[in-house]
Amino acid sequence: MTSAREWLGLAVVAAPLAGAVLACGVPRRLVQPAALLASVATAAVSIALAAIALARPGQPFVGRWLVVDAAGGLLVGVIGVVGLASALASPAYLRTAETSLVRPAYAPRLYYGGLALFQATLLAVPLAGNLGAAWLLLEATGAFSALLVGFSGKRRALEAAWKYLILTSLGLGVTLLGIAVLESATGSGRIGGLAWSAIAAAGPSRQSALVAYALLLVGLGAKAGWAPVHNWLPDAHSEAPPPVSALLSGALLPAVALVAWRVTDSLQSSIGAAAHQLLIGFGLASLAVAIPFLWRPLAWKRLLAYSSLEHMGVIVLGIGFGSPLALAGVVVHIAGHAAAKALGFYAATPLIEHLPQASRGAVSGLGRTEPTLGAAMGLSLAALSGMPPSPLFVSEVLVVAGGFSAGYAWAGVVTALLLALGFLGLAHALIEITAGKARRHRSPASGMRGMRVLVACTGALLLCLAGASLWLPGSDIVAVLARGLT
Amino acid sequence: MSSTVAWLIVGLGLGVVVVRRRSVAVGLVTAQALVLAGYALADQSSGGSTAAAAVLLLRAAVLAGALFLVISRTRESAPVRAGLSPLTRAAIAVVAGLLLTWVVPDVGLGSREAERAVLALVGFGLVVVATRRATLFHVLGIITVDNAVALAGLSQRAGSPLLVDVGVALDLLLVAGVATVFHERIFAEFGAGDARALRSLRD
Repeated sequence: MTSAREWLGLAVVAAPLAGAVLACGVPRRLVQPAALLASVATAAVSIALAAIALARPGQPFVGRWLVVDAAGGLLVGVIGVVGLASALASPAYLRTAETSLVRPAYAPRLYYGGLALFQATLLAVPLAGNLGAAWLLLEATGAFSALLVGFSGKRRALEAAWKYLILTSLGLGVTLLGIAVLESATGSGRIGGLAWSAIAAAGPSRQSALVAYALLLVGLGAKAGWAPVHNWLPDAHSEAPPPVSALLSGALLPAVALVAWRVTDSLQSSIGAAAHQLLIGFGLASLAVAIPFLWRPLAWKRLLAYSSLEHMGVIVLGIGFGSPLALAGVVVHIAGHAAAKALGFYAATPLIEHLPQASRGAVSGLGRTEPTLGAAMGLSLAALSGMPPSPLFVSEVLVVAGGFSAGYAWAGVVTALLLALGFLGLAHALIEITAGKARRHRSPASGMRGMRVLVACTGALLLCLAGASLWLPGSDIVAVLARGLT
Repeated sequence: MSSTVAWLIVGLGLGVVVVRRRSVAVGLVTAQALVLAGYALADQSSGGSTAAAAVLLLRAAVLAGALFLVISRTRESAPVRAGLSPLTRAAIAVVAGLLLTWVVPDVGLGSREAERAVLALVGFGLVVVATRRATLFHVLGIITVDNAVALAGLSQRAGSPLLVDVGVALDLLLVAGVATVFHERIFAEFGAGDARALRSLRD
């Protein structure tokens, strides 16, 4: 008998697919309403699945193709909510978009169709029951999201989309080689042999498992934008339409990290501590590479992009530490980062309309000239910097404490130092943007009523997350995650 | 996996690193896929070989058709020059291949020869992307890596799952399709499919 979790798992993917079909098939004037309707339905189903998965974390559904567990539920919820917010933010972007890859008449269809397909494949990634399916879905997200990154058709967008497509596809090619090595090591020759639990049960030899794991992690790291294979990330995030950047940063990157987490848990018994050490290495490298850029006066979206690199480092470190405290930090960090980062990217549309030079260079004094825009950017930066009472402050403390409790005291110390440096960099940017010297601006920012609502909703959500993060470490959710995802 | 076949595929991969013309390189990666398909047909040791051969053949035909079409639509007055001479590229590729085969231990594919061939091909694919300036060569680098993975799949004792073969082929076609769209736009916007033009985004 098909359970509620299975039905919801299928519905979560079917809803955006229906949105894609509608975006391509309905008359032109109905494309936008149809896409928004599909996004509302997708968000509703995603939140329902997340609620069920997180309410009963000890009763996951584990099939050959589909896994609905607490970690997957969390990601599906995050993707559903960010997807809805991105769909709602899209009309404002499309109104200001001067160019696109296709003729203007077809632009909304390409945009909303691509967005729906990207969201459908993205939602399927955390629910993929085996490594082969997860790989195929990740590759598909790359193709659809690359179209969206280059949507404006401008030179810089084409450059960013090209780098993104080539580097992530190459990375996923390396991941595929890792899968081939793993298949050979487990000797199954069947798709069922790549199911998460089957990989763990097959018990491949340490040497083969280690080679496969290293290949898988390097490839997934290229897709997730972990240093040192992160080169596409700042370009793609800064040149994509802002609603797409929000999905890339808040949803795609942690979804790839979840696949890496599942791979780690599947191969843990064969590899041992080396699995965690590799993840910790990637996490520390990502933090170390990101911090210097957070100190520089960068264009708003580029600053957010480097902040994504920093936060992916925190998430990977949490997974690498693997202790209950660190995993509690990972859960809070994924949700808090998505909310704060999405708000920051949505603020970019009115910001660039109001101040075109903001797409190329740093801005200052917006709190004085455009208080609503300044508040949106300020709230986003304050939360991302880990300023109390941001949930990211709690999650970062949890991850560092988790490092100590897992026996990686040196990594905990280095993480704390790097996070403190990152905080100082972003705090400086926060002061500049909100209270720095104001310049004369071309025109008043538009769409500020919607932005005020968004700031209020995000602020409330972040406070709720901060409250929940205090309860989370002793919860069943964390206990189940700490037992492993397979 | 016969070592002659494996090293023939590696030789074709080295050709992609060295040749100047895009059309010749497309011919080489297509030849790789055809050799792989031929091997899959000839090797009846695993049940999925015929189906795997069909998938490889179809993939090769669609990719070759799409890439030759793109080349005909984006004619260059002269081939985009790579930053390094063919001999230097070949040397780098050989060193990368040797380094990979030296670093990666035995992972249990059908034979050590096949493993070496797979790793060398992956190295060649990475070198193609890193050293070639013509944007179409970046796509060919990815296809070379993918052909290496197909070789790894065929070298396995148990064979690889057909569903994964089909999925991989579909995904590769999807990525190549999007890449060709961008290649044409880059050509239209910059006047050449030259990666040197794609260097404005730096910090």
